[in-house]
Amino acid sequence: MGMPSANATSETLKLCIFDLRRGQNEGQELDKILFFYPADLPFSTQLSVIGLSEGLITFTRIFSPEAACEVIEAEGHSHVFYEAEPDIWMVMVVEKNKDSEAIWRIDGLRSLLKELHSFFLMFTGSIRALLDKEPSGGLIRTHLYYFIMDYLSDFLSGKKLQLPNFRDSLKERGTVHMLTIGREAALEVQSLVKVLELCVGSSQCSSLIMYQDLLVSSTLSPEDTVNIFNYAVLRLSPRALSSGASSWSYLRKGNTAPGASGPMLPNSSSVLEVYYGSQENSVGGHSYNVLRPLKHGHWSRGNDGFLVTDSWEAEAGSLVHTCPTIWLHKTDERMYLCAYQHRSLTIIFLIPVASVLNADQEIPFVKQQIIENVALKIIKVEEKLSRGWGGENAYHVSGYRYLLVDDDRCISRASPPGKVTTLTKESLVALSRLREEVDLEKSRAKWDGLGHEKDLEVCIRAKNNAWVIARLTRGKELYMVLEKANETLLYASDAVEKFSDRYCNGAFSFD
Amino acid sequence: MLSDSNSSSDDDQNPKPDATSIDQSLDAIENQLASISMSQSVSEFESESEHGIHEEETTELNHQDFRNGSLSEIDQLSLHNSVPEEVSRSEKDVDEPKASSSRLWTNAVEEEEVEAPSSPSSSGYAGERGSSSSASGILEVNNDGEIDAVRNDGEFDEVSDSQAPWVPGKRHGDEDDASISWRKRKKHFFVLSHSGKPIYSRSVIAAQLFLFHCSIGYGDEHKLAGFSATLQAIISFVENGGDRVKLVRAGKHQVIFLVKGPIYLVCISCTEEPYESLRGQLELLYGQMILILTKSVNRCFEKNPKFDMTPLLGGTDVVFSSLIHSFGWNPATFLHAYTCLPLAYATRQAAGAILQDVADSGVLFAILMCRHKVISLVGAQKASLHPDDMLLLSNFVMSSESFRTSESFSPICLPRYNPMAFLYAYVHYLDVETYLILLTTSSDAFYHLKDCRIRIETVLLKSNVLVEVQRSVVEGGMHVEDLPVDPASRSGTVSHLGQPRIPTGPPERFKEVFHGIGGPAGLWHFIYRSIYLDQYVASEFSSPISSLQQQKRLYRAYQKLYTSMHDKGVGPHKTQFRRDENYVMLCWVTQDFELYATFDPLADKALAIKICNRVCQWVKDVENEIFLLGASPFSW
Repeated sequence: MGMPSANATSETLKLCIFDLRRGQNEGQELDKILFFYPADLPFSTQLSVIGLSEGLITFTRIFSPEAACEVIEAEGHSHVFYEAEPDIWMVMVVEKNKDSEAIWRIDGLRSLLKELHSFFLMFTGSIRALLDKEPSGGLIRTHLYYFIMDYLSDFLSGKKLQLPNFRDSLKERGTVHMLTIGREAALEVQSLVKVLELCVGSSQCSSLIMYQDLLVSSTLSPEDTVNIFNYAVLRLSPRALSSGASSWSYLRKGNTAPGASGPMLPNSSSVLEVYYGSQENSVGGHSYNVLRPLKHGHWSRGNDGFLVTDSWEAEAGSLVHTCPTIWLHKTDERMYLCAYQHRSLTIIFLIPVASVLNADQEIPFVKQQIIENVALKIIKVEEKLSRGWGGENAYHVSGYRYLLVDDDRCISRASPPGKVTTLTKESLVALSRLREEVDLEKSRAKWDGLGHEKDLEVCIRAKNNAWVIARLTRGKELYMVLEKANETLLYASDAVEKFSDRYCNGAFSFD
Repeated sequence: MLSDSNSSSDDDQNPKPDATSIDQSLDAIENQLASISMSQSVSEFESESEHGIHEEETTELNHQDFRNGSLSEIDQLSLHNSVPEEVSRSEKDVDEPKASSSRLWTNAVEEEEVEAPSSPSSSGYAGERGSSSSASGILEVNNDGEIDAVRNDGEFDEVSDSQAPWVPGKRHGDEDDASISWRKRKKHFFVLSHSGKPIYSRSVIAAQLFLFHCSIGYGDEHKLAGFSATLQAIISFVENGGDRVKLVRAGKHQVIFLVKGPIYLVCISCTEEPYESLRGQLELLYGQMILILTKSVNRCFEKNPKFDMTPLLGGTDVVFSSLIHSFGWNPATFLHAYTCLPLAYATRQAAGAILQDVADSGVLFAILMCRHKVISLVGAQKASLHPDDMLLLSNFVMSSESFRTSESFSPICLPRYNPMAFLYAYVHYLDVETYLILLTTSSDAFYHLKDCRIRIETVLLKSNVLVEVQRSVVEGGMHVEDLPVDPASRSGTVSHLGQPRIPTGPPERFKEVFHGIGGPAGLWHFIYRSIYLDQYVASEFSSPISSLQQQKRLYRAYQKLYTSMHDKGVGPHKTQFRRDENYVMLCWVTQDFELYATFDPLADKALAIKICNRVCQWVKDVENEIFLLGASPFSW
C-alpha cells in the first residue's frame, strides 16, 4: 500500500512536478500535480508521494526557512528535491538497493532536474508563466508531459531508465566541454565569429561554435552557453543527427538510439486525459500546440548545410519551415535559433526575435548570406580543427582518471568515458562517496557565505589501494582516481601536483 | 492518526488525508513562526540568556569555582544570570546578517553552539507546570571538558522563576525569545513514542521541545504533543509506504530519524556532524533509555499503545542531558572505544588484581573509573563489556548526584550485554572523581558487594593506587609537545609517558614551558585507537586548540574524518589526508590501530607523515601506561 509495486519496471524512478499554490482545498489535491512519472501509477500513490514531499517542505521551512527540504533519505529510496521556480517543485524518487548499480550521488541526480528545467525554460518559458496563461493546467501538463518524456528517453537503456549513478562520478552535468585549440586556430575561429556577426547583421546576434561534441567558441553567457551546448550535443551535433551512432559524450546514452520516444510514451493521450478528464473541453495533445524540441529524429541536415526541424511546426500552425526560437536565460530575450553544420563543425547563431520584422523573409536571407560569405571560411576552420583534433581520447592523461570542473565558467573536462570504464566499481563508489562529502562541504560553505573560498584537499587510499582524490580551490574542482599508483601519500600528492602543473596551469599546486 | 487514515488511501475519493493532516499542523506551525521570526530585539536576547541556556560559555568562565565546589546553587544561578549577557550580545551579532568584513570571525563564533540542554527550570518549564518533583539540572563543563552535573530541585525553580520571570500565557504572536533559542542552538533531540506521545515531557529534551513550542506560539503541553505528532506522522507516513525514513536534509539542517520498536528518536541539527555520527548519538540516547528501563519497556507499548513512559524516566533528565553534552566532547561517543587514565603499569596491575579477586567471588563486572576514564576493569569469565555500555554506564553514574553522596545499589541494564535484563550496580565513590562499579545479576547482593568494596578500597589505599590516580589527573595524558623528537633517544630515564620529569618546580611551570605552539611539525592533537583493545588514547589539547570552541570544532572534524574513513559501503579506507582552512588531518587505519592526527593547516605533508609514524611509536612505547592490557579475561 502507499507505494505499490504493481509494475516492477516502473518502480525504479518516480519523477513529479507539483505546484504548492494549487489544490490546497480538500478534494482538489490532484490539481497540484503538474507532472508525474510513471503516469500510470494510481492517483493515491501519486498523491502520497507529493503529500510527503509537501509535508516535508513545510516542516523543514520551520527551522530552515532559507532552504526547505533538499533530500529525504529512506532505507529504500532517495527523494531528491529541487525548487525549480517559487513554489514549483520537482521531486525525484529513486530506489536504492534494487541492484548493485543503484548507488546515487544526490547532487548528481539534482543536476539532472536542474538541466531538465533549464531546457524547459529555454524552449517554453517558465512553468509559472504557462500556468498563468492557462490556469486550468492543461497547457502546462501537456507541455511538461511530452517534454519530460522526450528528455527521459535519453536515459532509456533497454526498457529501463538508467540514471546517472556512481559510474558517472567523473562527469559533471550542466557544464560545457571545451576543445583545446592552438593559437592559430583560435585566431581563425575568432575571425569566423566576426564574419558571422557581420553576415547576420544584427549587433545582438550571438553565436556558438562546436567541433563534434566540444565547444569551440561562444559569445553567450555561461548559463545560456551550457543550455544550448548541451542541447546541441543531445540533438544537433553530427553524432546526434546520425542516429544509431554511439556517442562518447555523457549527454548521450548507450548504443540504442531510441529514435522516436515510443517506449516512453505508452498511452500518452489517455495519460493526459485522466488529469483533466473532468474538464471536457481540452483533452489530449491535439488542442494544444505542443513543442517537442527534445523529440528524437526531428532535426536533420538540409542540403544547404542548415539544420532543419519540424518540432516547431505546430507552434505557428501553418508555416512550413518555422525557425525555432528559444528564450535566453540571461536576458530573458526570445531568439531565433539557426544551426549550420559542415562535417564536424556546428555553428549555432541566435537572432533576437525582436529585431526581425518578417522572419519568413529575413531568416532565409541571413542563411543565404552565410552560405555565400562564410561557407568557405567554415570549411577552412573545420579542416584546421580536424587536423589538430586528437580523437576521442584526446584528453586522456595516461595513468590518471580525472574530472576537472571550473564552476565559475561552467566548464568541465574529464577522462574519456572509455577510459573511466577501466576503473573498478570499488574505486568509483569510493569516489562517488567522496564527491558526496565534498558536495556537502560546498553546500555548507555556500550557506556560511564562504562560497568559492572553500579550500579543501582530500586524498584517500581506499581499501582496494586506489587513491581517490578531491581538490577544491578558488571555485575550481579536481577529482581523481589513481588505481595503479604507489602506496605512499607523497606519491599520490606528487601525481596531483604534476597533473595540476601540466594541465591546470598550476591551479591545484602548492608553491 | 496518520497510519489510520493511510490505510484507506486506496480510496481515490480521499486520496491524501495524511498529507493534509501534516499540512494542517505544520501550516499552523509555520504561520506562527513566520510572524515570530521577523522581529528580534535585544531585550529578548537578554531574557533568553537569563534562561541560562548558555552553559558552555558561562562555565568556561566559572569552571574554577565549580571545581572548587565553593558555589552554592544560588550562586551558580546568579552567575548564570549575570554572565550570559555578554554572550547574548555576541550571539546577537551572529544572528544578524553576515557581515562580510568580519566573516571569518563570525564563522568562528557560529561554531560555538549550545547544545547542552537548558535546565528545564530555567526555561520556565518545570516552574510553569509546578512540577518540583521532576529533577532538573544544569550541565557544567569544567577545565578538562568534563561534566559536572549540578542537581537541583524545586527551590531552584522558584529562584529561577523569580529571577527570570516567565509568563506562559504571554508567549504568542511576536514573542520570540524561545524561537531564537531554537535557532541559536544547533542541535535538538526528541524522543517520542510510536503514538506520537513525547516521552520526555519533563526532561531536558522535552524542555527543548517545549521551547520549540513556545517558539511557535504554543505554551501548553497539549500543543507540545502536536509537534511530536508531526514527527510521528512523517515516520509512519514513510513506513506505510513500505520504507523507513533515515534523514531529511534542508540547507544546513539535518533531521535524523531512528526507530527503535515503539520508540522514535529524532535529532534536528545544523552542526556539521555527518549523518552517521548523529545517528550514532540517537543510538546512544536510546541505549541510555534501555540502561535505565531495559528493552522490556516495549511490552508496555504492546499492551497499551498509548502507554506513557514519562513517569518511568522521572528524575533522569540529567543523565540524558549529560549524555547529549558528551556528544560534543567525548570521542568515545563515535569511536566506540573507551579510554584509560594513564597509570604506571604496576599501579594498574595492583588495581586489576584486587578487582579480579572480587570478580572471582560472583561479581559480573568490576570497574574502577576516574571520571570517564578507566583505571581498571575486570569481568567474570566469558563476560565482555562493550565500550558503548561503559560509556552509558559511566555517564549514568557520573550524572546522577545521588551516587556521589552515598553508596548505592541500583538496577541497570547494559544494552549491548543483554538489553532485556536488569543487572544490579553497586556504586561507590572512593574520592571526588574516582568511583567503583560492581555489577551483579543478583538483586540481593548488596551486602556482599559492600564487603567487596571495602576490601577493594583497603587494598587501593594500601597500594597507593588512589594517590597515583590523583597524580595522573594532575599530570594529564600525552602532550604533543612531549613527542620524542629523536627515536634513538627513547631509552634512559623516563617516567611519565616516556618523558623525563622535571625534578623541580610546580607543575604549572612545567606546562608553561612546554605549551607553546603545539608539537613538532605543527602537530596539534592526535587520537590513537587500538582496535583489539577497544581502547583509545587522545592527547591533551595543545595551545592552538585551547578554547572550548576550538576543541569542539576539532572534535567535529574528527567525527567527519572517522565517518569518511568508515564509509559503510566502501570503507574502511586505509589512509586519508585532508587539508582545509582549519587543519591538516591525517588518518591511518590498519588492522591493529587507527591513528587520527591533526596538524597546523600549513603543515608539511612529508613531515606530518613522519610525525604520525613517531606518534605510533610513542604510543607503543608507553602502551603499558596508557592502555589496560589484557590482564583480564574481560573481552575475549
